Amino acid sequence: MKYIFLFFFLLSFNLKAQVNSGSRFVAMGETGVSLQDIWSLQQNQAGLASLEKPVVAIGYEQRFADQDLSTQSALFAVPYKQNVFGLSFQRYGFSAYNEQQIGFALARRFGNTLHVALNFNYHQLKITNYGSAQTFSVEAGLQYRASDKLWLGAHVANPNRSEYGNGVNAAIPVVLQFGASYSFSDKVLIATALEKTLNLNTDFKMGMEYKLVGMLYLRGGVSANPFKQYAGFGLNYQHLRLDVATSSHPVLGYSPQIAMSYEF
Amino acid sequence: MSFRNLFIAALLVFQFLLVKTVKSQTENDPIVDQIIESLSENAKEDVDYSDLAERLSFYRKHSANINKITFQQLQELVFLSPIQINTFLSYRNENGPIINLLELQSIDNFDLETVRKLVNFVSLDAANPFADVSIKSLLKNGHNDLLMRYSQIVEPQHGYQIPDSVKKSKYLGSPQHYFARYRYNYGDNISASLNMEKDAGEQFFSGANPYGFDFYSGNIAVKNIGKISKLVIGDYSLQFGQALTLWSGLGFSGKGADITAIAKQDVGLKPYTSVNESSFFRGVAATIKLKTISITPFVSYINVDGGFAAIDTLSSSADISSLGISGLHRTQTEINQKGSIAQFIYGSNIQFHQKGLTLGATAYHTYFDHTFGAGKQLYNQFKFADNSLTNTGFNYGYAYRNTYFFGEVAHSLESGFAFVNGLISSITPQVSLALLYRNYQKDYISFYNIALSEASTAINEKGFYSGLDIKPSNKWELSAYTDIFRFPWLKFGVDAPSQGYEMFSQLTYTPNKKIRATLRYKFTNKEENDNITNAFNTLDPVKTQNYRLELGYKINQDFTVKNHAEIAQYQKNTNPSELGFLVYQDLVYNPIQSKFSGNVRFAIFDTQGFNSSIYSFEDDVLYGYAIQAFQARGSKVYVNGRYTLKRGLDLWFKYSLISYTNRDNIGSGLDQTLGNKRSDFKLQVRYQF
Repeated sequence: MKYIFLFFFLLSFNLKAQVNSGSRFVAMGETGVSLQDIWSLQQNQAGLASLEKPVVAIGYEQRFADQDLSTQSALFAVPYKQNVFGLSFQRYGFSAYNEQQIGFALARRFGNTLHVALNFNYHQLKITNYGSAQTFSVEAGLQYRASDKLWLGAHVANPNRSEYGNGVNAAIPVVLQFGASYSFSDKVLIATALEKTLNLNTDFKMGMEYKLVGMLYLRGGVSANPFKQYAGFGLNYQHLRLDVATSSHPVLGYSPQIAMSYEF
Repeated sequence: MSFRNLFIAALLVFQFLLVKTVKSQTENDPIVDQIIESLSENAKEDVDYSDLAERLSFYRKHSANINKITFQQLQELVFLSPIQINTFLSYRNENGPIINLLELQSIDNFDLETVRKLVNFVSLDAANPFADVSIKSLLKNGHNDLLMRYSQIVEPQHGYQIPDSVKKSKYLGSPQHYFARYRYNYGDNISASLNMEKDAGEQFFSGANPYGFDFYSGNIAVKNIGKISKLVIGDYSLQFGQALTLWSGLGFSGKGADITAIAKQDVGLKPYTSVNESSFFRGVAATIKLKTISITPFVSYINVDGGFAAIDTLSSSADISSLGISGLHRTQTEINQKGSIAQFIYGSNIQFHQKGLTLGATAYHTYFDHTFGAGKQLYNQFKFADNSLTNTGFNYGYAYRNTYFFGEVAHSLESGFAFVNGLISSITPQVSLALLYRNYQKDYISFYNIALSEASTAINEKGFYSGLDIKPSNKWELSAYTDIFRFPWLKFGVDAPSQGYEMFSQLTYTPNKKIRATLRYKFTNKEENDNITNAFNTLDPVKTQNYRLELGYKINQDFTVKNHAEIAQYQKNTNPSELGFLVYQDLVYNPIQSKFSGNVRFAIFDTQGFNSSIYSFEDDVLYGYAIQAFQARGSKVYVNGRYTLKRGLDLWFKYSLISYTNRDNIGSGLDQTLGNKRSDFKLQVRYQF
């Protein structure tokens, strides 16, 4: 019974949320479009261009605190001169239904002010007793540093409206987002984003990161449509980073997640 | 009628009285108005802001010495956040006396806006010490303030026109509203006040009111005699903690544009000076201060208004069906309910305050001479149904660096609990954060509870509030909050547990001292019964949105102009949405040196129904705070003015006219007036000696 509900829910409401943008961005209300991080691979690959060393990251999310429904992610990025190459793997679903996505990103920085990126995805959908389907999609993004403290970002996913093909009632969402982030001090970062998904809602999001002491960061955010609240914290210890986040949907409840990354 | 003439004659007599010089006045000034407006984002019709206006006006006139101002006094200037108060006090402790008010700008967490407001209420002058107090000096150095107000709706209302021979409910008194108040202040330490009011429709020196006014309220208060830091005999109010256990008089349970106001600042015992005829205590109360501990015992006995359910044949006495809070006693029914229930309250608060830490505990017992009837509906089955109640509560506040933590836990014995915990933090000089979690059980009971809540009373609610205020520069300010709430039990008009959320944002642009532009958006999503008539309804989502644009600018020294446009939108489920629209133009004339000042407003409104009505603040005579609920279609104009006859003798007048294009008569029932226009006027005189 539970599966039937979830299945219905997945197919009708929340397709775009399948990409998990990592505990840091999620804790900030999924406002990563103008932020820079290894997890930019999952939100706006242009943010990858600021990486200076190779980074590896993994993440695990439990959707609506349901043990069966989860997202697992693994990311790897390596810079080379002005370029950064990124590789992402993500698996989402439960035993009888799952989606996998493999992405390859190329991000490049032009001077200190402009990042651009392209990303290619391979998608696979598997439903027990029904079979599977595959498709490809592209994403493109840019980030522009308007001042020392202000970053602007824009990102488009699946602009050519790639689909799984006939008979599969699951779409690859077509999403356009843009946003801005501003560092009020070395302690406070505030980010906003506007996101439009084709055939679905328009969402406005806002998030904040606060460096409490030394290596401890507190984060929070909200999104307007659907109304969701987000919170989390991060620990940066030398090369290692640990981020924890949860999002809260008024009807569906909490989705906790954890992510770790290591910078070489 | 002759008494009315006598009263008016008395008003006129004051014109001819000789007056001696008093300190120059500042009247209903924009600063006080702006502070009050920012505290209550959503104006409600039935709130009396005069108490707060009076308090702020007092400091405006008797500015406090910045080097002596106390924690309590700073709290009374409601616009300062607990963090600002704390940083100010520790700054003064560490750096010694403040030499120049400009120094305030260098204190952490004091932005330009705050300093601009604060300098209106403080000064560097040493306060005049009133050392010896004798009867002679009380008369000589005391400050007397007498104010009288007369107002009336010009068009006759239906309630006055029913002949005596007809046995129907009618207004028994005359349509005039009279109000008189007297204040005596001797420095900051001794004060006396007397308020008298006759509402429109109430009898005056006749019928139910042989002694003149319908409502009398007064008190004598002294401060700082030895260990007694405050003593009030007569009418008083009590405000403790986060308003969950005990908070009477003016308070704000709603959420406003000022996000730091979610932390309530309790001022403890205060002489009651409002004309609200409910929510105050009558008796004796004192605050005794022993170093870091203050104890406030209080006792009160008062007759409150109440309605009774039809007498049960089995039990001999009738149960209370409702408490009356309007203070209106115009019809026979209302007169019968007046003071029909005796309420006896006693209790105490104890407070510990040292540096940034405040801990408080409150316990009090309320006794009624009648029993409250049990709730007959499913939604109100947890209501108070007894004749006595004991409330207890514990509250805390702690300022640590740039963060202020606060909270309260309250318990009504033999029923529920309620909790509230929050923090406000200036994480950088530009960014402030506010968070609040609340959980009020459905069976928590307090008659003096106005803690932060979405519903009108802080019971049966869980919620989480988060707010952010960003000032990227002196010119820009963005304040935004979201609040998510849940009502675990049914409510009136909501036949199931429900939930919802609210989002608010306001952007203010102040390029210089002359221009101020505000853009505001608010969105609320809640659940209410659907429109089908049923014993039990299913719930429909209800969305309300409000857009507001306001632009104020000073043309020159004398004139200020304000444009205001507002849209309200209400939509239940997928029904067509209901729209409301209001636009008004204000012109304010307020020269620095002139006997005359005043303002004019012209408003046009068009709303499609009750749900899209728009509430708006209006300028009024001094200490009067009018709020207009705009409904239907039409226009409104008012003229408001002050004239200083002599130093110490001021006159105010206000005339307003509302006219509708799609209504043939205004109001309903006894309140109704025929025709599409309704006008009223107010006259006020104040004599200070």
